Amino acid sequence: MFNVPAVHKSGESHHEQVKLVSFTLDQEEFCVDVLKVREIIHVPLVTRVPNTPPHLEGVINLRGKVIPVISLRKKFGLQNVEKDKQTRIMVMEMGSELMGFIVDAVSEVIRVSTDEIQPSPAKMSGDIDQECIAGVINQSDRLLVLLNLEMMLDHDERKILIGM
Amino acid sequence: MPPIDSADQELLEGFLAETMELLDKLDEDLVALEKASDDAELLNRIFRSIHTIKGASSFLGFDLLVKVAHTTEDVLNRLRKLELTLTPEIMDAVLEATDLVKLLVSDIKAGDIQERETGDTISRLLPFLTETDSTPRKEPSTQPQQSAPIPVTAPLSPQPPDAMMVALAQPSSEGIPRSVTPHPKVLEGRGEELYDNTTVRVDVTRLDDLLDQVGELVLERNRMIQLNQDLSQGDINQAGFQDEFGKLTKRISFVTSELQMQVLKMRMIPVEKVFRKFPRIVRNVARDLAKEVDLRIMGEETELDRSIIDEIGDPLIHLIRNALDHGLETPQERLDAGKQPAGSLILSAGHEGNHIVISIKDDGRGIDCDRVGRKAVEKGLLTDDQLASMSQNEILDLILLPGFSTKEKVSDLSGRGVGMDVVKTNIKKLNGIIEIRSERGQGSEFLLRLPLTLAIIQSLVVEVGREVYLVPLTSVLETFRVEPRSFHQIGGQEVLKMRDSVLPLIRMQRVFSIEQEGKAEEFCYVVVVGAADKRIGLVVNRLIGQQEVAIKSLGPYLTDVPGIAGSTILGDGRVALIVDPAGMAARND
Repeated sequence: MFNVPAVHKSGESHHEQVKLVSFTLDQEEFCVDVLKVREIIHVPLVTRVPNTPPHLEGVINLRGKVIPVISLRKKFGLQNVEKDKQTRIMVMEMGSELMGFIVDAVSEVIRVSTDEIQPSPAKMSGDIDQECIAGVINQSDRLLVLLNLEMMLDHDERKILIGM
Repeated sequence: MPPIDSADQELLEGFLAETMELLDKLDEDLVALEKASDDAELLNRIFRSIHTIKGASSFLGFDLLVKVAHTTEDVLNRLRKLELTLTPEIMDAVLEATDLVKLLVSDIKAGDIQERETGDTISRLLPFLTETDSTPRKEPSTQPQQSAPIPVTAPLSPQPPDAMMVALAQPSSEGIPRSVTPHPKVLEGRGEELYDNTTVRVDVTRLDDLLDQVGELVLERNRMIQLNQDLSQGDINQAGFQDEFGKLTKRISFVTSELQMQVLKMRMIPVEKVFRKFPRIVRNVARDLAKEVDLRIMGEETELDRSIIDEIGDPLIHLIRNALDHGLETPQERLDAGKQPAGSLILSAGHEGNHIVISIKDDGRGIDCDRVGRKAVEKGLLTDDQLASMSQNEILDLILLPGFSTKEKVSDLSGRGVGMDVVKTNIKKLNGIIEIRSERGQGSEFLLRLPLTLAIIQSLVVEVGREVYLVPLTSVLETFRVEPRSFHQIGGQEVLKMRDSVLPLIRMQRVFSIEQEGKAEEFCYVVVVGAADKRIGLVVNRLIGQQEVAIKSLGPYLTDVPGIAGSTILGDGRVALIVDPAGMAARND
């Protein structure tokens, strides 16, 4: 199981490699641990659930299972846009449950070694909850923000349910 | 505890399953024994149960358990060899020991073996191992109860064969210190949790029927494959295909429905599983309250979905305690009122259409509506004017409000005004309805109406704006078409005037923040739903129809969305949300 490693200090050298799935949100690139991603699907009909936070788009039918779907754009305070042909839902394992995340587009699976993962700078675009950011990956031609979406859930989702 | 390897784990699980089953039966048998102390077969059975438990515990090295079981076994042995006659005191001690055994077993089950205090219980049993027959009261050292000059009724009076009579120990007991060491009630709580909820017993015939249906389904699938092949190979024309496919659809529908019903049936357990612990509870409570009770249980073979069985126990216990505490009078009061000294308590269960109805009926003093009304006004729950305009039924429903109790003294059992409210909440959770009937001086009846199953429901499909929602039919009382113009406003709440009452309304569109579609319609539909004791009207745009659906949970992250009970997947693959009438009613408060 890949626990997002504590960002390590320079000097230590790990030669572990991890595989990440990269996706885009509002021109920025993000990535998550591939082992947490169950599947990537086109966006089906989403049933709205009333009295839920705005970033909870609703629920979908995933082969007979009803799972909640979150719009990462809304969650991170980015401008909302219409879905297009590239929009996807990443179905991820959150603890023992499945949850879907709407992203603009899914790019590829990349392999990075853990030394490439650096601590994140203090603030980034939008309103990304700091807990989710596990680090950044600075490659020559791009910058990827590594997310740990389970952290987002711990913080927020339980709150939703109680204080409504 | 040392780590258990898989072979041991299997042994342990076997031990737990067997022991819990024995303990379950034991309770019932012990209470039955009290009224039929000379039933040798019963006594032997009880003895063998304890003996088995002792043996198994010894084999697995559960020493505490062995100690308690051993002493109990010895007492039972004396009883069955007629060296000892059963008295209520002996029964108390044995019951207490059984409770302790249950507690120890539940510790083992939880994997958390504690050093429980067994000495007291064992010492209560010890005297019975040495004394010879006849009334134990002769020896003050054995019984902490002092032999005050109170006539002791013979432990077992002749019993009418068709009722379970709980005999009275002493009439006026205030002066006597009731030294009942760790009172069985304390242990009772743990013992009651000892159901094995992870497995279920299924009749083999049911499994065979299921297998038959699956066989049918396989045949239909084969026909489907054949049909598809025929079509793609051009062996059948359009008309022929349509014809065959139509028939196939009908047959598959039928087989699927049968399968569904059969699998659901496997989840059903006779309500007896819950009822069987009541004789013991009634016995204990009656003794504590110094009341005589004649408990009758009917319809225990009625079956319920196991999820309901799990939840129904607590509310029923509370209602029974209420009936015994508030409802039934003391034997003297009853004689004065011209009734039999033993109060009657009837617990029954039966099917009514798509519901199961459980009734707790007593012939006690009934609910005093005047007192209830006055108490409500006192507590500021009502004004005098409101009280004046309430029907008797509405007044009776007041006792379900939180904090309500007309009892002057708070006893250990009831009177804190917490209980009825909890009952109501539990019943609401099960999408059920409580009905109270009572007549002063004659008695009261509490009726619980519950849907047969929670997994699959009949639902009313409604349209609100452009969205579709489902309302469980079990909660729907009626529907009708109205013009919104006819709504009134009372204190900020929209209502609809009905024949003889006023119905509070909830606009689903508003509560679910659904966009208005086009211009406001001239008419709409009101779906009247009942939840526990409330009635509200849900305002929707259109009634689409009726559909049977399988409820799917929304998952742990969405279980608490107010007003939504769950979801289902419609025929076209869409997810549709199921409305929670109880939740909507609560929100409206």
